[in-house]
Amino acid sequence: MGVAAPPVTATVEAGHLKRFAEAIGDPNPRWLSEAPPTFLVAIAPTSIHLEEAEEYGKGWLNGGNRFEYLEPVKVGDRITATGKVADAYEKTGSSGSLLFIIFETEYVNQHGRPVARLRGTAIRR
Amino acid sequence: MTLKVGDEIPELVKHPTTRQLVQYAGAQGDFYEIHYDQDYARSVGLPGVILHGLLKASFLGQLVTDWLGDRGTLQAFEVSYRGVDQPGRPYRCRGKVTKVDGDQVELAVWGEDPDGNRTTLGSAAVVITG
Repeated sequence: MGVAAPPVTATVEAGHLKRFAEAIGDPNPRWLSEAPPTFLVAIAPTSIHLEEAEEYGKGWLNGGNRFEYLEPVKVGDRITATGKVADAYEKTGSSGSLLFIIFETEYVNQHGRPVARLRGTAIRR
Repeated sequence: MTLKVGDEIPELVKHPTTRQLVQYAGAQGDFYEIHYDQDYARSVGLPGVILHGLLKASFLGQLVTDWLGDRGTLQAFEVSYRGVDQPGRPYRCRGKVTKVDGDQVELAVWGEDPDGNRTTLGSAAVVITG
């Protein structure tokens, strides 16, 4: 546990925001200058490539996501995302065994202030 | 704005297509083949290509932000994926108020497939400012 990925820094670009809003089909003009609720997943990987996990089962499923918002993210912001594996455990259910991996990412802006946190559950089945 | 527990918020019906999954894959940078390659999806035991969980989360995010507008701020948003959804089937996003405590409001949100199965369950916490 505590496996961390190197931080990733990216600028929130107007073109990327526009493409993202079009892809989710949300025409709200607010998203031309501000990030919609799920946008931050698009600027940095939300999971860490774990080769050991890929030996388990045959595919990945997303179990869930939790976003916490501390400050709006706007066009031009320079965001650094730092991710880690917070937990991993196995569960046996009716359809066999599943491996759960909990990823946590913190997003910090160019002023050094945290803007959002994301917790995601990846399932290997 | 007077809100009370049990109030439903206006629903949002989305019509995802395979084209949209490809668009989303590009915009998010998630190129896992189960979202656009039918043969690959079937080879891992799925009925065909399926929607990205985070695309369904985005639909529910739109449900909440369309309702909230500029009257408040979204503080937390959580989704749990309980079933797979395929393109070509409408996806109905719904929500209702579950808690009102001064300017702090919580919502339950969910996405339903055409058979009425709630394949995504979630919640949102907002603070009302206007």
